[in-house]
Amino acid sequence: MSEPTRPTIPAARAPSLVSGGEPHHASVTPVGGVAEVHEQQPLVGQDLRTEELVFNMGPQHPATHGVLRVVIKSDGEFVQGLQPHIGNLHRCCEKIGESVPYYQWIPYVDRMDYLAAMCNEHIACMAVEKAAGIEVPERAEYCRVIVAEVQRILSHLFAMGVYGLDLGAFTPFLHQFREREKGLDLLDHISGGRLLYHYVRIGGVKRDFTQEWLDELEAFLAAVEQRLPEYNTLLLSNHIFQQRTAGVGVIDRSACVRWGVTGPALRAAGVDFDVRRDAPYGVYDRFEFAVPHGHSGIAGVVGDCFQRHWVRTQEVEQSLRIVRQALKQMPQGPVMGKVPKSLKPVAGEVYVRGENPRGELAVYMVTQGEDKAWRARCRGPSFSNIAVITETAKGTLLADLVAAIGSLDIVLGEVDR
Amino acid sequence: MSTTPSPAGTPAPAALVDPVTERAHALLAARLPGVVVAQELAGRHPWIRVTAAGLRDALRLLRDDPTTQLECCHLISGVDWPARKPGETAELEVVYHLVSYALPYDAAYKARRGPQAKNDPWVAIKVRVPREAPEVPSVMDLFTGADWHERETYDLLGVRFTGRGFVPRILLPEDWPGYPLRKDWETPTDYHGIPIVPPEGL
Repeated sequence: MSEPTRPTIPAARAPSLVSGGEPHHASVTPVGGVAEVHEQQPLVGQDLRTEELVFNMGPQHPATHGVLRVVIKSDGEFVQGLQPHIGNLHRCCEKIGESVPYYQWIPYVDRMDYLAAMCNEHIACMAVEKAAGIEVPERAEYCRVIVAEVQRILSHLFAMGVYGLDLGAFTPFLHQFREREKGLDLLDHISGGRLLYHYVRIGGVKRDFTQEWLDELEAFLAAVEQRLPEYNTLLLSNHIFQQRTAGVGVIDRSACVRWGVTGPALRAAGVDFDVRRDAPYGVYDRFEFAVPHGHSGIAGVVGDCFQRHWVRTQEVEQSLRIVRQALKQMPQGPVMGKVPKSLKPVAGEVYVRGENPRGELAVYMVTQGEDKAWRARCRGPSFSNIAVITETAKGTLLADLVAAIGSLDIVLGEVDR
Repeated sequence: MSTTPSPAGTPAPAALVDPVTERAHALLAARLPGVVVAQELAGRHPWIRVTAAGLRDALRLLRDDPTTQLECCHLISGVDWPARKPGETAELEVVYHLVSYALPYDAAYKARRGPQAKNDPWVAIKVRVPREAPEVPSVMDLFTGADWHERETYDLLGVRFTGRGFVPRILLPEDWPGYPLRKDWETPTDYHGIPIVPPEGL
């Protein structure tokens, strides 16, 4: 046998495997080149002494969906405690809001939640319009709803696909990106950008829909509608997926409300609340749609990873319904209202909240009669949604932590703003 | 001061008293006398201003009382109000937007359309503290989610939240100088030897 001999560890410095302060005596005898430890006491009936390990997950970890660093204190495979560290993607969105005229701030808002830029624009524009008292033409309101709901479909397709990826399922990701690609093209053709659009403007929208675009939209809706059951088969009824998510990362109603968790995560906890229905903005009160929320009739428990995913799948269906109704109801007319060149809202403040794919985006804007906001505060839903992970993931397995973070569907651009 | 005068040009908001804020104000006035300093119950952004000392009691009452049930601290924002005229006191304002998921949505709101109407059942509680000693009691134990919002308000505006121990920064590095969202903040020229060049126009 030509195995190299291992260096002999002095008995006094050898790490003890047995619980208890003092390392007990062990004789180390190299036999046949391999050190064998002869324990004087049997290990049966004694606990292994374990050590807590503190380590970083991220900021470049694929399961953190961006530049999130989570410092984890682990005991073996179990998470004893964790602290998310954010701020790596801070781009001073609120400071910029105080420094540039209102018109110029809207493109920056796109970059908060870059997977739901249309929804961000919609709510930010509503805040400025409310502050300045600008009326938006009816057709523009419908245009906004349509693009925002298409954006919600795209965002949920992304979330669902990437969640499968987090849990080791590569196939749904590729399938859902096929439809997402069509949707991105769709928004590209109306706005000129694939991800960041600046399509919704203060006072209306940039341009009206053309007939070609509407045909394209119809094809996209049909494709999503056709494929959606397939996606649900791929993940929701997949046994491995259910095992990985059902009962994992439970965030109940009380935790949601205490931490300010909103959106699909709040609804998965059984709260029947959607800003679009319960505090409608724009023309959302003119559509009929259901608010899917977690309940005990499906797999998993209320508020777990599975139900959060399930809520997203159902919301895609409801978004399809909203777009179809909006297309039917849409009146003719201009898509841009009368907006002064220099926008100087009188002193006052507004608070506008709306339902983004990830939760409730709110804008608190203080105006002082200048062409810039005095304070442009944004509530990114992911900011509150990721904070809850410190409580949820305590005591779970490391792999379940990945499942829990993924199911919250955070976007770090919005956490850090 | 009791209410801010409505600026010229905006429709008179007198008819649109916000029921949720009105209820919260009546509750605070009845149960915690002396805590409410000022209020604005109508218009598109009604608010109630309370004293810093009474803030915790006020928020706890609004959270627990069955008539309000404002159980979720939606957003905490800081606003800087430096002295812009001689004689004005420089203050920092912290605004708490509270929402309820328990109370049924008030159908009366659905009729309230238009840019000047408040059509959303939240309540804004404000507290003002002097800019030199901006100390606000922490509400982290009442609303767990307030933790990060308070850290952010400290980070960007320098409001000190008392009663919760050390408040670390959250978005900026721990050694960042000053508080960027204060109105007198000036961009430093460099950070650890890395030059900071603000974009033109900012």
